[in-house]
Amino acid sequence: MSQPAVRIGAVLNTLLIAPSRQCLRPMAAGRNFHTRRPTAPYLSKSQAQAHQPLVIQRRFKYKTVEEAKSRYRSGPFSWKAGLLFVGTGGGLLYYFEREKERMQRKRIADSTKGVGRPKVGGPFELIDQNGNTVTDNDLKGRYSLVYFGFSHCPDICPEELDKMARMFDLVEAERPGQLAPVFVTCDPARDDPKTLKEYLSEFHPKFIGLTGTYDQIKAMCKTYRVYFSTPSQVAPGQDYLVDHSIYFYLMDPEGDFVEALGREHSPDQAAKAILGHMKDWTGKIAER
Amino acid sequence: MGLFGFFEKSDADKRASEIRTGAAVPTRAERQRCWEARDGYFACLDKSGIVDPVKDDKKAAKACGTETAQFERDCATQWVIYFKKWRVQDIQKKARLKELKAQGANKLDVQTDFAPRK
Repeated sequence: MSQPAVRIGAVLNTLLIAPSRQCLRPMAAGRNFHTRRPTAPYLSKSQAQAHQPLVIQRRFKYKTVEEAKSRYRSGPFSWKAGLLFVGTGGGLLYYFEREKERMQRKRIADSTKGVGRPKVGGPFELIDQNGNTVTDNDLKGRYSLVYFGFSHCPDICPEELDKMARMFDLVEAERPGQLAPVFVTCDPARDDPKTLKEYLSEFHPKFIGLTGTYDQIKAMCKTYRVYFSTPSQVAPGQDYLVDHSIYFYLMDPEGDFVEALGREHSPDQAAKAILGHMKDWTGKIAER
Repeated sequence: MGLFGFFEKSDADKRASEIRTGAAVPTRAERQRCWEARDGYFACLDKSGIVDPVKDDKKAAKACGTETAQFERDCATQWVIYFKKWRVQDIQKKARLKELKAQGANKLDVQTDFAPRK
């Protein structure tokens, strides 16, 4: 009468004792049990007396039959099952939260892409601070962060450029070479390549400064929907300030606008947003 | 000799003059110096209760003579004009925001002061 309970208890025991064993092992153990089964009566009869300690040892696992029965009755609801339940629940919660954040970013990226959307960015041809021609195709393949300003700017541009340097460093630390920091002047009359080179070297050595003729810059600002008010006719030596939009434009590797980052974003927040969009990008991002 | 000496001495003055007229682009250090002069000037105006130093120019000159001179020496002339206008607008904006806040308006996260965000 007590024999089956003990046997079940022993099997249950082998299952419970080895939690790290994978699906295969309990199955193998089960098979062993089945193959051993025909011989078991013979063995148990002859070994019952001969190997008494073995039976005692087995009985020690459960002091009473009641205990074994209760263990059998409690079935799969053990602390291990509880742990598995909590673990799975936590994992799912984390996954859904992450998916939600990703969908939010996707919505921002998608709302600026496709048919019937305002198109920001487009073809351009300008020269950089070293005098080399740069076109929109040179910026494709990786993300770019485009900022418009001018070297005589009294307060906002230098601050924003410092901010841009910080966020660029933060992105660069995680994804080196995948973001191009671009500064476009709104004051081409005074910001020639040499001036830009001196000006930008104080912010970050990797900044790409772009300038051109008044008409080229005007076209560039138009494609990026940037408002600026550089007077087209200024007497030589006359000082003036340029009013302009102060957004960072994040452009994806295909040259499409993703998101505008403004004054309200701290460098950390902006870098986080950029890295998030980079993570969502399914294509390849070039490194330069 | 006297004329030569004048030119010799004024190397730094020449640079400062170029910055004032907008012929040269200020470096980071020169920008910093200008901003410090501006902050000192604004602090003096605040102390004297002057909002618009353009409208109350005589009062400003009397109360903050040295600060004005320093501000105009270290900053480009266009920057001086810009900062004075900015001051009036900023004070008006802050007053308006305070008024709106008193009426229970929702605040947007917008930065209006010069200090960079950490």
